[in-house]
Amino acid sequence: MRDAIVIGSGLAGLTAALRLAKGGKTVSLISKGPGGLQLSQGTFDILGYSPDRVSDPLDAVGALAKTKPEHPYAVLGADAVREAAEFVAGLVPDLLAGDPASNVNLPTAVGAVRPTALAQPSMIDGAVKDGNAYVVVGLRRLKDFQATLVAGNLDRAEVPGGGSVSARAVWIDVPARPEEADTTGLTYARALDDPNVRATFAKAVAKQANAGEIVVLPGVLGLDDHDAWRDIAQIVDHPVCEVPLPPPGVPGLRLFRTLSALARDAGVRMINGSKVIAKRVEGDRVVSVSISSAGHAREYEASAFVFAPGGFESGALAVDSYGHITEPALGLPLSHDSAEGLIHGDFWGSDQALFEVGVRVDQSMRVLGPDSAPVYSNLFAAGGILAGATRWREKSGEGIAAASALRAADTILGEEK
Amino acid sequence: MSKKLDLSTVVKSVSSAAKSAGAQVASGARKVTQRDTAPDAAERLGNELARSTLDHCVKCTVCETNCPVSRVTPLFSGPKFVGPQGERFRHGDSVDHSVDYCSSCGTCTVVCPQGVNVAEINSLARAAMKQQNGMPIRDQLISRTTIMGAAMTPVAPVANAVLGFKPARVVMEKVVGVHRDAPMPTARPETLATWLKKRPKPTKPATRGPIVYFHGCAGGYFEVETSKQTIEVLEHLGYEVLVPKQGCCGLAEQSNGLFESAKKSVRSLVRALRTAGTDLTIISSSGSCTGMLKHEAHEILGVDDSELADVGTRIREFSEFLLDLYDAGEFPAEELRPLQMTVPYHAPCQLKSQGMGTPAADLLRLIPGLTVVDSDAVCCGIAGTYGLKKEKYDIAQAVGKPLFDMVQATNKDLAVCDTETCRWQIQKGSGVPTVHPVTLLHRSLGLS
Repeated sequence: MRDAIVIGSGLAGLTAALRLAKGGKTVSLISKGPGGLQLSQGTFDILGYSPDRVSDPLDAVGALAKTKPEHPYAVLGADAVREAAEFVAGLVPDLLAGDPASNVNLPTAVGAVRPTALAQPSMIDGAVKDGNAYVVVGLRRLKDFQATLVAGNLDRAEVPGGGSVSARAVWIDVPARPEEADTTGLTYARALDDPNVRATFAKAVAKQANAGEIVVLPGVLGLDDHDAWRDIAQIVDHPVCEVPLPPPGVPGLRLFRTLSALARDAGVRMINGSKVIAKRVEGDRVVSVSISSAGHAREYEASAFVFAPGGFESGALAVDSYGHITEPALGLPLSHDSAEGLIHGDFWGSDQALFEVGVRVDQSMRVLGPDSAPVYSNLFAAGGILAGATRWREKSGEGIAAASALRAADTILGEEK
Repeated sequence: MSKKLDLSTVVKSVSSAAKSAGAQVASGARKVTQRDTAPDAAERLGNELARSTLDHCVKCTVCETNCPVSRVTPLFSGPKFVGPQGERFRHGDSVDHSVDYCSSCGTCTVVCPQGVNVAEINSLARAAMKQQNGMPIRDQLISRTTIMGAAMTPVAPVANAVLGFKPARVVMEKVVGVHRDAPMPTARPETLATWLKKRPKPTKPATRGPIVYFHGCAGGYFEVETSKQTIEVLEHLGYEVLVPKQGCCGLAEQSNGLFESAKKSVRSLVRALRTAGTDLTIISSSGSCTGMLKHEAHEILGVDDSELADVGTRIREFSEFLLDLYDAGEFPAEELRPLQMTVPYHAPCQLKSQGMGTPAADLLRLIPGLTVVDSDAVCCGIAGTYGLKKEKYDIAQAVGKPLFDMVQATNKDLAVCDTETCRWQIQKGSGVPTVHPVTLLHRSLGLS
């Protein structure tokens, strides 16, 4: 029997598993897929919009408790979010930098300007400020980064805090695999892990930059070599900024690969590829969960369980054709069990209330029933499964994930002491 | 001895092996009878089995980022493109040859968060392609693993010499299409069956009752030592180990699109394993063959009978079984003697696709003094018979390269992996002797 089982390998699951393992617990991490990190931007959002653009995210988190009492941040509080951001950044110091108390505004792959709290060091030099001049470098064989579109939008973007920036696009052709016309970002990133390839690449980029320009590049500057971008910036001899692309997202993959390796090194048993299909309960405790492994269901017992499977986007929440909303793995009670009245037809209108559906938790992250009492004494929830947030609109996903994971893990660690 | 072999002997031995293995292959023909490919693959692609799951694809590209083949070659355009996307255009016909470069490692299905049966869709599409376009004799030859074992054992020194003799391998490459540098098993002078007959009765009382052992064809002929050690460890723990006479699971035939032969093989294996008892746990030290019985025969070949389901439910991979014992407090971890070393461990794809984690690594970590370093490599490249083929050899080597480097950097004398062909590939690619996890456990328990 293990001390704890964590379900899900996104940022919430990995954070909980690492916190528990570092606290001396035996931990198994069960996941169906490899989690959401590689589908993310590879940054650490705390709060980007509330509902207007946020510059001081921890202050805005504090204020949210008054305006949205059902929001996970209202339960967690700003101090917990700061601690979680610092914990995760401390795990991957070469991948996350910045101050959780203040947002940076970074150019996106469509040339918009997106707020986030912590970003990869390879991105930060691109922070949008009045007077910046950008040259956006497109790669002919990489279709996910349309330099002309990025530069066009960036050039006319509203600069947070006022002022303006200028941007122009250039295109170069540096093949990752010469015989290939259409190369993925990941293939480029792997190629740029090789110092020889990135020297060739950087020299081609260097020719395009004019004095005073920030060089905007697709987010493919190395996968496992976290210093690849520094090499490139040194040869280019200009500030360089990586922009995350649509999936496969290389910056997110860097986070996933690094955090997974840390978890394995900390003794976490990783069980990937199987869905959790059932639980066994005795009294007010969950005794075990079962997974649909090949051939037979496998049952895993533990003293405590952290449930961090994501939300609708990962299939952890489902709506059937009658509008019934369910959590299929463990059958937990949700904030709403019917989609009726939670969806409106105005696509560009206000947030769809449906997407705030999830499990409700108390201060310790124990899952609550309809009577607002914990359903089980040893079942905790974290991340995208929590009710009350529209994470992609608020830009709050990583902050909620890490802070709730830390709270759940610390509750388990505190109670066993 | 190898130096004395002349070319004509070699050609004779290769062509006679070809004859005995591919008995129904008409001379010179590049096509096989339709019966042995996948007569119903197209039909099955049209039904709900695997194809319907393609609608679950949200194009997240998680499979693409994990595919070991598209990482190294643009010839394979990736599991999402060839699988859930390409399949929409096929309508039962084969319209592209990129799918031939899929190695069937199954990683895409394991990592898919949405439950798309990517690997199954691609396996069926490849079987349909071979049915439509013909199948090389080579693919049939290398699928007949029991025949290879049975033919090589009596002449083990000769067979080993031929396979280790470069000119012979050049001929084999030209005539049969097996790459001259591809890893080959080492024939053993004694089969597991012979050892079982000769050895003295175990002295330790069977306090835990009977258990059935499935050794796989490699475990019967080539990896005899692994099988012996598995039996001895299980007996040491107090089990009476029953070893029914058994054949091949058909995995190699399946991955080469010989679906009818594969079905026959797996069905007769299931019958053989059931002769030892219909309620006993079955243990296997062959990682990939375990997966065939647990799910692949059902999910890829479409075998849907209660006997397979029975065996598939009762079978446990060796380390899975022992780690479960440990978690239940029934494994004598206190008996494990220290082994002061650091070993690289590689989890084979077909073990990972069983969705149970990597029990061997967790089990070996119970041995005091032993540091187990996970390879963190997706695939070794061999994928059963893929890496033997002359047109795939370079790809398979490129797939395995990061693993070979990691193994060499971790321990130049010993590596650990659960599956036979992967061990041969790692050993050949890295030069590091590679053993099944049982070898370390056997030693730590004081049995060797």
